[in-house]
Amino acid sequence: MITDILFSALVMTTPLILAALGGLIHRSSGIVNVGLDGMMLLGALVAIIIASGGNWAVALVGAGFAGGVTGWLMSLGITRLRANEIIVGLGLNIAIAGAIRFYLKAAYGSSGNLMLPDVSRLPKIDLPLPGALGAVFSGHSILTWIAWALVPLTAWVLSRTALGLRLRACGTSAASAAAIGLHPKRMREGAGFVAGALSGLAGAYLSIGVVGLFNEGITGGRGFIALAAFYFGANRPWATAACALLFGIFDAVQIRLQGRGFPAELIQTLPYIMVCVVLLLLGLAARRRAQGKAASHG
Amino acid sequence: MKYLQSALTILFPVAIVLVIGAAVLLAAGYNPLTVYSDLMTEAFGGQRRIAASLSAATPLIFTGLAAAVAFRVGVFTVGAEGSLYVGALMAAWLGFTLTGLNGWLLAPLCLLAGAAAGMVWMLPPGLMKARLGIDEIVTTLMLNFIAIGLTTWLVNGPLLAPGAANSSTPQVAEAARLTRLMPPSTLTTGFLIALALLVTYAVWQRRRIGGYETLVGGLAPRFARAAGIDMPGLMLRMLLVSGAIAGLGGAIQVLGPIGRFVAGFSTGYGFTGIAVAILARGNPLGILIGAVLFGGLSTAGATIQLFSDVPIEIVNILQGLIMIFAVADFGLRGWFARRTARQTAAEGGQP
Repeated sequence: MITDILFSALVMTTPLILAALGGLIHRSSGIVNVGLDGMMLLGALVAIIIASGGNWAVALVGAGFAGGVTGWLMSLGITRLRANEIIVGLGLNIAIAGAIRFYLKAAYGSSGNLMLPDVSRLPKIDLPLPGALGAVFSGHSILTWIAWALVPLTAWVLSRTALGLRLRACGTSAASAAAIGLHPKRMREGAGFVAGALSGLAGAYLSIGVVGLFNEGITGGRGFIALAAFYFGANRPWATAACALLFGIFDAVQIRLQGRGFPAELIQTLPYIMVCVVLLLLGLAARRRAQGKAASHG
Repeated sequence: MKYLQSALTILFPVAIVLVIGAAVLLAAGYNPLTVYSDLMTEAFGGQRRIAASLSAATPLIFTGLAAAVAFRVGVFTVGAEGSLYVGALMAAWLGFTLTGLNGWLLAPLCLLAGAAAGMVWMLPPGLMKARLGIDEIVTTLMLNFIAIGLTTWLVNGPLLAPGAANSSTPQVAEAARLTRLMPPSTLTTGFLIALALLVTYAVWQRRRIGGYETLVGGLAPRFARAAGIDMPGLMLRMLLVSGAIAGLGGAIQVLGPIGRFVAGFSTGYGFTGIAVAILARGNPLGILIGAVLFGGLSTAGATIQLFSDVPIEIVNILQGLIMIFAVADFGLRGWFARRTARQTAAEGGQP
């Protein structure tokens, strides 16, 4: 029972970590990406189309590329046309969802679902672990391990490399970054590609990793939960991954509880409530610091 | 010149979106001109169709106004969707519980309660913004999901209509329903309330102190503060007004076309309202035109399905793209400024 829940919690966490790390990188460069959900949906569709009669690895590359190009285009709108990032993100989600439904109807004559033959699923990795450990950690797809491996990688790149430092400089102060010869716009566009690519992979995980088909509601708002995770994790990769894991556990528990009369709708709102609470606490702490400073100066 | 400029800044993004939409239609093997003209005929060809479009525009006028009043003072709320849901559920709940009340009392009571609920929903993000400077975009976005989850839970459990399988409340009392203006169309007196609210907004923004304060506060917050305007208080007030307007819009959907609260009844009215407000640049007439266009587009998209195989989703694509391109800055303002400068220079430097 408990090992089952932990196993499915890891499954639910995988797309959240991927998209949240993407959002984290984009935000570190200075853009809040609300379009993660749309890019995830696009990745899920592209992956299943390529994987049908094809190869899962090619499908992952395709999904990542499709998401990345979308994220790059979205960033272009924000950096070059000075469009508001939130509105562009929301509009992008609407447009992508519409375009996918349009495409499914025009190309396959189906409304919102796509089942294709011979889908090459993501391979599962069996680990020779004893008992409960094996039940939790064995049998996950390769993307789950890639997602977790990306956490320390992201942390290292952001804090220890020149690229990460430059990225964060562009996010903290675009004007200062430009003054020392960096290109904040290009940096944000690049980060947008990474965010979109990781979201695309998250979508691919859902379609060719978990279920093996495509449905227009396949993301279940996970792009927004990912947004909650990197807000909650205050842009730190490990904290963000921990939040993603927490939300993944919520998700797994909630599916188990659904049959027992627990209100799934309320449990699903918990990540969103937690974001508001965290923002409130951060705001209160900031005010206390400011007051303390004022008092010590006065 | 000024009118030409504002017309161009509105029409330019629409034109780009229509071109992209045409490319999508062409790629899928449809003739874009036929589709567009079909959409226009279905939206505005004849009295009945116009009534349907105005009915669909009604919630968008509310959400567009809700966005516009907050944007005006520089508060970037995306929370109209949540307030709309909360207001709608509140109105529905009163509408089917207080069945003993007289219609002249019940309908206004439901509408007021809906507005109040929408307003209260914006109180936490408003206080967080005004007192602690917490980014309102994220809090209001999160509150949308919370409102959707909360109302869905309520109508699936405590407030579910007896014997109903789908997630909805019982019908509200007949006395609470708004009068239909042109039966059988779903156009109700709610549209007139929306128009009245638009006129109030137009007068307020031009002639009232609050309209001036919010204008200054939105354009130059530091100057406003220096001039003695209580900016945090003003932002909080406008966010509450925004929530009230959206809540009223939700209540009117319930008492008007739907007759009860249905989970997920909004097809993203709150988000489309943002597009409407931005496209209109806060101008009341622009909000009306934008809402009618988007409303007409959605009803036309639904009816066009009946006689052609064009996927209705072309409407969603257009809508999402308009949101994106409406906030994009194509440098038109700079172009106009340079042009005006050249003209003044040509006229001998006389400003």
